[in-house]
Amino acid sequence: MTFSRTVQSIVKNIGSFIVFGSFAIGAFLFSRFLTAYLLDNAKIGLFLFHRFVSMLFFVFFITINLGNMVVSFSTLYRSPEVNFMLTKPIPHLTIFIIKFLDNFFYSSGTLFLAGFSVLLGYGSYFHFPWHFYVVVMLGVLVPFMFLAGCTAVIILLALMKLASKISFKALVGALVLFYVAQIYFYFTISSPINLVREVMRYYPNVDLYLGQLDPPISKYLPNFWISQIMFFYITGKHSAVVGYSSLLILSSAAAFIALVVAGDRLFYSTWITSLSLKSFSIKKFEFTGTVFSFRARSHLEPQTESLLKREYWQFFREPSQWIHLLVMLLLVGVFLSSVTSMDFGLQNPMLRTAVYLVVYIFDAFLITSIALRFAFPMMSLEGDAYWTIRSSPIRASKVYWTKFFIVLCPLFLLGLALAVLSNVPYILLSPLPQVTTLGMAMIAISLVSLNFGLGSYFVNYVEKNPIRIASSQGATLTFLLSIVLLVMLVGVFFFPILAVFNTIYYQIPKKDHWLYDALGMLGIFSAIVGAVSHSIGVKALKRDV
Amino acid sequence: MIILKNLTKKFGSFTALDNLTLTVPEGEFFGFLGPNGAGKTTTIKMMTGLFTPTSGSIVINGFDIQKQPIEAKSTFGYIPDQPFLYDKLTGREFLYYIGGLYNMPKAECQSQIDELVEHFEIGDWADKRTEEYSQGMRQRITITAAFLHNPQTIIIDEPMVGLDPRSARIVKDSLKKKSKEGVSIFMSTHSLEMVEELCDRIGIIKEGKLIFLDSRDSLHHHKSKYDGKLESVFLELTK
Repeated sequence: MTFSRTVQSIVKNIGSFIVFGSFAIGAFLFSRFLTAYLLDNAKIGLFLFHRFVSMLFFVFFITINLGNMVVSFSTLYRSPEVNFMLTKPIPHLTIFIIKFLDNFFYSSGTLFLAGFSVLLGYGSYFHFPWHFYVVVMLGVLVPFMFLAGCTAVIILLALMKLASKISFKALVGALVLFYVAQIYFYFTISSPINLVREVMRYYPNVDLYLGQLDPPISKYLPNFWISQIMFFYITGKHSAVVGYSSLLILSSAAAFIALVVAGDRLFYSTWITSLSLKSFSIKKFEFTGTVFSFRARSHLEPQTESLLKREYWQFFREPSQWIHLLVMLLLVGVFLSSVTSMDFGLQNPMLRTAVYLVVYIFDAFLITSIALRFAFPMMSLEGDAYWTIRSSPIRASKVYWTKFFIVLCPLFLLGLALAVLSNVPYILLSPLPQVTTLGMAMIAISLVSLNFGLGSYFVNYVEKNPIRIASSQGATLTFLLSIVLLVMLVGVFFFPILAVFNTIYYQIPKKDHWLYDALGMLGIFSAIVGAVSHSIGVKALKRDV
Repeated sequence: MIILKNLTKKFGSFTALDNLTLTVPEGEFFGFLGPNGAGKTTTIKMMTGLFTPTSGSIVINGFDIQKQPIEAKSTFGYIPDQPFLYDKLTGREFLYYIGGLYNMPKAECQSQIDELVEHFEIGDWADKRTEEYSQGMRQRITITAAFLHNPQTIIIDEPMVGLDPRSARIVKDSLKKKSKEGVSIFMSTHSLEMVEELCDRIGIIKEGKLIFLDSRDSLHHHKSKYDGKLESVFLELTK
């Protein structure tokens, strides 16, 4: 028995290695392909390419920043482990630093892997030597992520300090508005569309450094420094590389020192403040006398009613859940408002196909991210109280499907909304919008199924922090499988969509049946993913608790 | 009624419970004792459906827990050793939630909750979130939840954890009353005084094997061979 468990463990680890390895290879190939495509086929030039890299890193920074903030709130102020350690003769600053570093590395593992793979793909196009990757990983990527993490926790400490004087709800609202405003102003000032037009005026001299086109404020941003490091490395200006790298490393170090000082002064007092926030909830919206109340009668049968109402209150009374959802939905909103007004004025069918697919994949990626964050941890969030379900006269499958439909409905509707709104610029190209919208519906169902099913398989009733659950090894594996699903989506739809744009520009006969065939293939594949995920998930519920 | 037949549980190469056979008839108050790690909680978890037996059978009120789990589970109430609740629900909401899982009609659920909340002296705590509860209050809510649907059998793992003397008295009296009403009670505990006070029959388990099974009266006979204390009998049997 011990031997078979060892074999199981080895097989599991080999399986993980294969999935992680495949993802890394996929990221490498994608990055290399995209770099080659943009520079050799689309010929956008080094300057514009690296400005896109800068925008990507801006989004990356915000993502890490927000992610660290939310995780750190749970870990530093809601963790029984921290509560326990504070009763011991351990300096509170030590606890603070250890938990910060623990959080940072725990939630950054996949990002490091992805970042390194993308970097390899990018670097292989330019034939960089091996030391480039080491230097960029350790001297650029890590300090950048560390800077994002440190600033996140500094902001959190400041928020918690203010929470002793100002309503926490108001502070959270202000913070959300602040981040939305940041994103809005950044993309308004950077204006990718204007930048493309301005750079293309210099065509074919688009590899020149066109720094006069950069908005002055962007030069103070770390994402800008990264794109400068990459650009100047390629063009051989090593002094500039050293300069920007030093700036990044020094900023990261300064941020860490500021974090330590802030932690030393504020962590303990804000932890005390957090105790009074323990019953924080959106009481105003609790509607205790309404349909959500347990006292209220319902047309649903009692078990389903109990499960639904319990999920509702457990979710909306946990700030880290609904705040994170709000933030993610706001980011989705910002994305949607940009995409519906996007018009690159592109004439090339290949480029139009690429743009269409990038937006479509990004829609699916948004669904993946939300599914990972909220669907994957759902079964684990039963926690130690799972005994109530296992010892009650309710079938495990009923619990499973009820919880699944709770998380599926909003994500399915979101997927449809994303697809419909992303297709607004293509509304006249029937049946493209209709087919891809249906495709998105199928993808949404299979992504939620994958995340929920594997979340049940990789269940962890001990971990109470949903963000840590969504950052676990099982979650990472699930995320990578989701990415594989998205890659298949590209594979299935690429030629049919290219055919649609070719029809417009080259007046060749329509090939709408390609779209329907692709939809059919996607449907079959989605059904298989769903069936396999659910059978794994339901079976896993019957394990010993 | 509870029938455990040749019940075995293995975790890898480790045998946590080895061929346990015993019957708890209707109305009997059965005390299950044993040193730490003997297999008491494992037995109870198998009885309540949290663990799957490696072999053997468990029949509760005529229903096999593995073949007819829904029917079996609807006939018993379970009080675990650690009263984990859903932190964001109030005590009252938790009880409504449990009532729903047992398919109780809303009106009946409401009246039962009001009655039991008063009986177990939970008071205003019922409308506070369980994340604010002490260990003892959590235990009271868990016990209340087990009584809610008027089960035919109650399975308890360490009922007195965190309870103050007054609450402990209320719980003991409630359990005694239930037993007299014909409810079978299977209780695992370390409290020898409680066993002596309440139980009709006692089983002692050691390293997964049942080493003693007899009535309370018979236990008095064993006690007389030592210093008249159950503790001495227990220590002698489990050394």
